[in-house]
Amino acid sequence: MSTELTPLTPPREAQVENANPTNEEQPFDVRLEHALSDQHMHAALERFAPSWRDSRAGVFSYEEQEYGPDYSFQHMRSTLRQAKDYATEHQPELVARFKEMARAAGAIVFEARTAEEANRYIYDLCQRKGIDLVVKSKTMVSEETELNHYLEARQIRAVETDLGEWVAQLAHERPSHMVMPIIHKTRQQVGALLSEATGREISREDVAEQVAVIRVEHRKSFLNAGMGISGANALIAESGTVMMMTNEGNGRLVTSLPPVHVVMAGYDKLIGTFAETMTQLRLLARSATAQHITSYTTFITGPAIPGHEMHIVLVDNGRSEMRADPRFKDALRCIRCAACANICPPYAQVGGHAFGYIYSGAIGLVVTPFHHGIEAGAGPQSLCVSCNACETVCPVEIPLPGLILDVRSRVVEAKGLHWIKKLVFGAMARPRLFNVATRLISIAQFPVTRGSNFIRARNFGILGKLPLPYIRPMVKLASWHSLPAFASRPLRDRVKRQLERYERRDAIDRVLPDRVPANATSRLTVCYFAGCMTDRLYPEMGQAVIHVLQTCGVRVTFPLGQNCCGLPALNSGDRRDGAAMARQTIIMLEQALKESEADYILSASTSCVATIAQDYTRLFEDLDEQGWLRRARELAGKVVDFTSFLERMLAEGVQLPVRQENGEATIVTTYHDSCQSCNCLGLRKEARSIIRDALGLELREMPQADVCCGFGGSTSIEHGDVAERLLHNKLRNAESTGATILVADNPGCLMHMRGGVDVNGKKLRVLHLAQLVAERLE
Amino acid sequence: MTMQTTTNLFQRFQQRLEAAGGEAHYAESLVEAADILAAHPALVQREIVVPPAFEARQPWGAILPMLAERGIAISEAGDPASVADFPAGLSSAELAIAETGSILLAENALPARIVSMLTLTHFALAQAGTLYPMLEEAGSALQRLTAPGPDQRHYISLVTGPSRTADIERTLTIGVQGPRALCVIIVE
Ligand code: SF4
Ligand code: SF4
Repeated sequence: MSTELTPLTPPREAQVENANPTNEEQPFDVRLEHALSDQHMHAALERFAPSWRDSRAGVFSYEEQEYGPDYSFQHMRSTLRQAKDYATEHQPELVARFKEMARAAGAIVFEARTAEEANRYIYDLCQRKGIDLVVKSKTMVSEETELNHYLEARQIRAVETDLGEWVAQLAHERPSHMVMPIIHKTRQQVGALLSEATGREISREDVAEQVAVIRVEHRKSFLNAGMGISGANALIAESGTVMMMTNEGNGRLVTSLPPVHVVMAGYDKLIGTFAETMTQLRLLARSATAQHITSYTTFITGPAIPGHEMHIVLVDNGRSEMRADPRFKDALRCIRCAACANICPPYAQVGGHAFGYIYSGAIGLVVTPFHHGIEAGAGPQSLCVSCNACETVCPVEIPLPGLILDVRSRVVEAKGLHWIKKLVFGAMARPRLFNVATRLISIAQFPVTRGSNFIRARNFGILGKLPLPYIRPMVKLASWHSLPAFASRPLRDRVKRQLERYERRDAIDRVLPDRVPANATSRLTVCYFAGCMTDRLYPEMGQAVIHVLQTCGVRVTFPLGQNCCGLPALNSGDRRDGAAMARQTIIMLEQALKESEADYILSASTSCVATIAQDYTRLFEDLDEQGWLRRARELAGKVVDFTSFLERMLAEGVQLPVRQENGEATIVTTYHDSCQSCNCLGLRKEARSIIRDALGLELREMPQADVCCGFGGSTSIEHGDVAERLLHNKLRNAESTGATILVADNPGCLMHMRGGVDVNGKKLRVLHLAQLVAERLE
Repeated sequence: MTMQTTTNLFQRFQQRLEAAGGEAHYAESLVEAADILAAHPALVQREIVVPPAFEARQPWGAILPMLAERGIAISEAGDPASVADFPAGLSSAELAIAETGSILLAENALPARIVSMLTLTHFALAQAGTLYPMLEEAGSALQRLTAPGPDQRHYISLVTGPSRTADIERTLTIGVQGPRALCVIIVE
């Protein structure tokens, strides 16, 4: 029997494993480099991401239309979230109930604390029963515990019967995606692997022929195997039932034919009732593959056949630790749909193997440290650009981006911050020092800016070739997107006249009532928080913001004490400097609000808005600083972003004196949704309505308008290759519209995209929404 | 349930099942169901495999003589090797769900189960009165069927269309380990 099956599953030999760059035993850098050079995978992922997004959106909106708001994504995800939270909170009761019911139905339940305990239990069972061939259907937990490896090292053959898993096994690779294991392989590669495994020539082109191979090859295994191992998508406590969702039909054979069936599942798969399970299966199929339901959803309650055995191995392996953590317990809600990988921009560039372990995408960054140690998660977490897209599609509302930042700060705590970052954030946390430093740089940068707004690679000349530390990396960075120059006069030096002029006019308006413009009736005052990029790099953006607000009849004040909100440090896992900047900013804004009697704090940087209005509260919750938490919460209620503020003013009847186009060619614009705007603040239609309705300009939607441009804070420095690709896609999509102006409302994106446009010499103007509006005013 | 809603429900069921690659028919009577089966291209070889003791199954058993009359040889499912790749298999569903185009199979015995797992075309009969609009009904049925006791069903599947994969280059291919075709006949 075993000789006949030899070609199916060649054992993983030590050398093969070491040579394999997809394996987690390779350092992160090696895996990443390998991933970045895999053109096939890159092409496949780039095709997949947009099509998944469309079909997923389609299936959810279909259901909502057909069955009403109770079946909307939002409603179902909050229902499932509650069900899963209940299960986590009441885990001991649910486990007890599940065990009782499963045992009553004839199953044997084993609780494994560690991966080793789980593997050993299964191995011992094989030993006891004299089993040397095991068939498996998809079991992510078994990948987590490295079961195949464990069994094979002990002369037990484990055959994956899911098509993708089997091909990955033949290639000695780990699945690169939680739902589509071999998304990184081409049909030619699959054909070659199958030919080698079966010893006969299998088509390299005909997928149907390739699929047919598995039916023939695995039939023997099914009929001969002594044990079938499956996973579980849910463990239903009320009845002791294991639910399993599959499409290929192998799962039902694995769990029916062999005399012993072993289920491996994490404790996180527990759920209370069948009613809740129906919501889960809807959300899982729709999120994973945009199916309404998978082909086979199987519910197994104890062994059905006399003489057959069913063992359920409940695996902890770090889950208790997660459950004990007030933040990370949220991750136990995960139903492994991979939506957070599918939507993740860096995932689409590097694929799953770079993540190292079985759980890839956002959830992988969160849970891997718990299953495999913080060291395992240290490299991969740096891939996250904090775009927050994953949180918007997660069917159980896991706050993934926040948890990833928590992992990042734990990594920083353990390994320290890169010295450059330490230097920069340390300086930023000291406003006076920062002020002096940026002014000095604005002078010192001249040799490489030559008076322009950019630091260009070509301007380095001979300097770039010198073996000076950090010059070369900088030249490399600037080679694909010119870096911004510091403004010789920051915004803070420029606003005085602009603000005073308004106050004077305003005073006159008050004494001459017939001169009061219609807009002045509301008389709002806003305290303008520019953010350091606008202040130091793009003062003209800030001037445009003030101009537009004033034109709307809004009184603007500019507290000179403003400094960085702390975002760069917080996003890099540097909580200490980040918290210092947050506290400074809170004090400064509280004072400014009091002095100016402002109604709102406004920023035209949606990143700063999200930081002040959302991240501060989370930060002080974590640090357990109740006083600061209260102050942060109070402040959050006052913070608004420029875009939605303007849109609301316009909706309330404020008129913008917009220049009419006479004779000018129609101006065509396209809009980039910055991640913070759309994913954190939920803005989508606001900027579009301003451009179209208030300015009367043509707006052409670019494909994937809401996909990250690649800036992602320091990711563009740390993982330049990834950032460069994302930028390339963004600019290609923007150009495909034929627009001449690319608009966004977040300075970070603008900086990144301007740099790219400057290098490739495209005729695209990259403007902040406020600049576009200001330009169109009479 | 009025005639009208049954029709609507069936149409929805059919639409969803077809979208999943399956096939749905509506039969006024068992005789009509037998006609549909006998005329089906998957029965060109005039043979079909059924679960053991299917003739005693209410109300479906009566279809066997009708099939025999129409020249179809009926075999009873035995060990897996004999059922594997049998051209056609017939079994019955506990209920059907229009929302997803699914049927609920609940067979404890292996030979009965493999009719829906190893044959090339799987035919399933379901009563019109057990066609429900939403999955919630499947949830309640599951709760009932898995309740401890002598009638406890240990192995239940919601089946929606034939087996499929899109693992290779995301090319959808029908018929992997399970049946290549699924045909559900809803009988009034
Ligand atoms: S925040 Fe964005 S980059 Fe980070 S994991 Fe989520 S989707 Fe990926
Ligand atoms: S974290 Fe959310 S989106 Fe990601 S796999 Fe889990 S359930 Fe799906």
